[in-house]
Amino acid sequence: MIARLSGVASRMTRDKADTLLLLVAAVMVLAPHFGHLPLWTSATVCLTLLWRGAITLRGSRLPPMWLLLPVSLLAMGGVYLTFRTLLGREPGVTMLTLLLTFKLLEMHARRDLFVVIFLSFFLLLTNFFYSQSILTALVMVATIIVLLSAQITFQFTGAVPPLAARLKLAGRIFLIAAPLGVLLFVGFPRIQGPLWGLPGDAGAGKSGMSDTMSPGSMTSLALSEEVAFRVRFKGAAPPQELLYWRGPVLSNYDGRTWTRIGQALYPIAQLRLTRQLAWNGPSYPYEVTLEPGRRQFLFMLELSEPASNIDGASAFYTNELEQLVRASGDKRLRYDSVAHPGYLAQPGLEPQALERWLQLPQGFNPRTLRYAAQIQALRAERGDDAAIAAVLAMFRKDFEYTLEPGRLGRDAVDEFLFDARKGFCEHYSGAFVYVMRAAGLPARVVNGYQGGELNPVDGYYTVRQSDAHAWTEVWLGPQRGWKRFDPTAAVAPERIRTSLAQVLPQEAPFGLQGLTRLARDQVSWLAQMRFGISAMNNAWNQWILDYNPNRQQNFLRALTSAFGDWRLLAGLALCAGLALLMKYRRTERARDPIDAAYLAFCRQLARHGLDKAPDEGPLGLALRVRQLNLPREKIAAMTGFLELYGALKYGAPAAQRDNEPIARLNSLLKQSR
Amino acid sequence: MLDRWLFQLKEKEAGEVQLVMRRVFILPTRPGVAFVGLLLIMLIGSVNYNLGLGFVLTFFTGACAIVDMYMTAKNLAFLHLAPGRAQPVFAGDEAQFELHVRNTTPRSRYAVWLGFQDEGAPRQSIDVAAKGSAAVVLSRPTVGRGWLAAPRVRLSTRFPLGLFGAWSYWQPDLKVLAYPQPEVAPPPLPTTGAAREDGYGTVGLDNFSGIRNYQPGDPMRHLAWRQIARLHPADGGHLVSKHFEGGAVSDMLLDLDALSPQLDIEVRLSRLAAWVLEAERRALPYALRIGQREIAQGLGEAHCAECLRALALHGKEGA
Repeated sequence: MIARLSGVASRMTRDKADTLLLLVAAVMVLAPHFGHLPLWTSATVCLTLLWRGAITLRGSRLPPMWLLLPVSLLAMGGVYLTFRTLLGREPGVTMLTLLLTFKLLEMHARRDLFVVIFLSFFLLLTNFFYSQSILTALVMVATIIVLLSAQITFQFTGAVPPLAARLKLAGRIFLIAAPLGVLLFVGFPRIQGPLWGLPGDAGAGKSGMSDTMSPGSMTSLALSEEVAFRVRFKGAAPPQELLYWRGPVLSNYDGRTWTRIGQALYPIAQLRLTRQLAWNGPSYPYEVTLEPGRRQFLFMLELSEPASNIDGASAFYTNELEQLVRASGDKRLRYDSVAHPGYLAQPGLEPQALERWLQLPQGFNPRTLRYAAQIQALRAERGDDAAIAAVLAMFRKDFEYTLEPGRLGRDAVDEFLFDARKGFCEHYSGAFVYVMRAAGLPARVVNGYQGGELNPVDGYYTVRQSDAHAWTEVWLGPQRGWKRFDPTAAVAPERIRTSLAQVLPQEAPFGLQGLTRLARDQVSWLAQMRFGISAMNNAWNQWILDYNPNRQQNFLRALTSAFGDWRLLAGLALCAGLALLMKYRRTERARDPIDAAYLAFCRQLARHGLDKAPDEGPLGLALRVRQLNLPREKIAAMTGFLELYGALKYGAPAAQRDNEPIARLNSLLKQSR
Repeated sequence: MLDRWLFQLKEKEAGEVQLVMRRVFILPTRPGVAFVGLLLIMLIGSVNYNLGLGFVLTFFTGACAIVDMYMTAKNLAFLHLAPGRAQPVFAGDEAQFELHVRNTTPRSRYAVWLGFQDEGAPRQSIDVAAKGSAAVVLSRPTVGRGWLAAPRVRLSTRFPLGLFGAWSYWQPDLKVLAYPQPEVAPPPLPTTGAAREDGYGTVGLDNFSGIRNYQPGDPMRHLAWRQIARLHPADGGHLVSKHFEGGAVSDMLLDLDALSPQLDIEVRLSRLAAWVLEAERRALPYALRIGQREIAQGLGEAHCAECLRALALHGKEGA
């Protein structure tokens, strides 16, 4: 392919081929931007590039300034009309793409070439606002190499090697630079950004869990395979049914929407957790890497100690045991914590404080209130646990779990409990809390994620948006505090033990049911591949995209302690020594064999007490050799060697230097030993 | 003075010179400085927007620039430089200095610029293939007669990326002899009366007596081209010259002291140079006397060169 291209290029004049290479590089830089540029900008860029290509191929003149200037101004006006501003990220990127495109039409001096190439490098960077996947990185490497090739091309003054050779040279530069780049990446002191307030559009359009719950709010998440966060347990992992990732706690209900109380933030350091929380049973230290998204709840395994080691952000606790963070949602966030599934939460709440978890909107759901009265009677008779069990038993008996529950009217809880009898976590948890409160038990809804998929490749749990879940908490008196109840588990227990997506019937198009099942199957090779890709993505996120000051410190510390190990140091020294030896040996071999033989000969002479003067030639040396007190045949071999050396070194060069005289030289050298 | 110390400017170096790494200097070019600015902007952007890949791009392109620095220096280092031939010229003409650049390494060198240090921007660029060599001719106008030493040569390169410029200095041991500028309209050749009687003006044209083997020193215009063309190379085709008999032995003596001493010495030397050329053109044997120095009568390239050289160096050091 390259050979054919360069064949085409060689038939063109050099100037044309060079410009075309630069155009190709510019296209490689601009093309990834088409996905997010306004349509008219992409069209303008494409048309201008085509025009530029035509100019190059036809060899006509570049457009004059009086034409370019109004066109650029017009484009600038277009950017303003589109975005209503010229500042900010999107308008900036749009203007840069237009600038690069028009600059290609205004190239007269060598300086302009550099401007084009430098602009291209910068535009390459701006593409990472939109995508930082592994594929983007690969495209970036290819683009860098083509850009470097274009830059090299313009440096030649005489003959220009074929395109393949130039690409090879650029590739070589990149390969030599790669270790240095890695070193810089790992070791260059990192500063935690942002340096200044990010323009408002930085985190726009990200999905994630909201801090309210109304009918249908979970559905969009449940169908999203996007990763919410990844978790690594530092020791053993708790069983799947304990993986409740606590997010926003919803206490207020207006008949339709559950909302947070949302007040009283405590810096974690000030929270007197010991009075409100007690840990029992096993503990599970873990590390969470939260994907960018709507902010900002730290999803914590129920219940966890305050998050620590949060990169460049500070966390807050609320009364409802939520953990929040003040950080923009446009980057990944990593934090550590320790979970204690056997917890005792806030047993000492005052009755007036508990009031707010008993409130219900007035004049809604009369049937539910009647039902709750029965439950309350049961509770008075046989205790809290029996009352809760009765409600859960009702759910278990004839309710159906579905993501398409149908529309609910004004008395949503009534319609759900007594008419539709189907729904999913948000319906179950909402109705359950409603019944509990009506029956006189303080209760609230907890949103978060349930479960997570263990990736056997790297040991990370992946929690996806589809794992979004809603469950409840009921306060069971001063001895037991808040206890978790998951009414959904009563309806679809497998929902808890595996994950949501597996419970839902897969509506595969065209009867491709088997395929989707295959993708969900842990043992099939497809699943293996999926896990492999997921692990690769995770490693990419952890080590490339999220390599921040915190991570850098930890890594360098680990590196230092590893290098303290003498075995590693010795191994490295050995490798370096071997590499040097190989290099030395290669240069030895690369030396002219005639010179090498002569050097060896001189060393031999020195052993006989005859030192070659620096200005002494082989024939002069031969005169002195004859006076040595040595056997005749040895002298003959020595003088023969010197004569042959002189002839080879200083005589007329043979048309073809063959090895025969060198072999003779070496045999003479051996004889004169 | 600072330059001399900093750049280790050396006096003439005889023979072949190798540009060791120590002799190669390097600084970022203007685009290189701009590139550093670009890297800074990219770094700040990566920090601000927390772009992990942005860091990768910034550090890798930065590393590429560093590799470029190394490669630019290596593009110049370890070249072997040797002075070439230097043909004499007439004063006022361009002196041509031939320089040889030899590359003993297995890497090809591209876009190496050569020029005289005092001239500013270099004028010539060469590529030197791996294990190959290239020659370059740098010219400089001569002003007066005499020896003109080659000025210090500056070699520079920006290959491969143009972000760094490496340079090195070399003072080649090379000088060009500038003959006196021939007078434009000189008086007729000073011929003695005795010679005129022999009719030297027609000598050699009428009395053609045959051809003989070419001997070094035979004037070019006496070569018998027709005969040369007839001899097949297989028969050992060689050069033959026309031989003339009765060649008048005119005693043409070009004598510096015979010219009016009122004339400036340079004018007199110019006139003699013009006469030497004229005599040579007309194939008239001539002798030359400058002060104590006398060059016996003769004709031909070597004789002409000797005479012109004597004229060029008259009164100069190293004559």
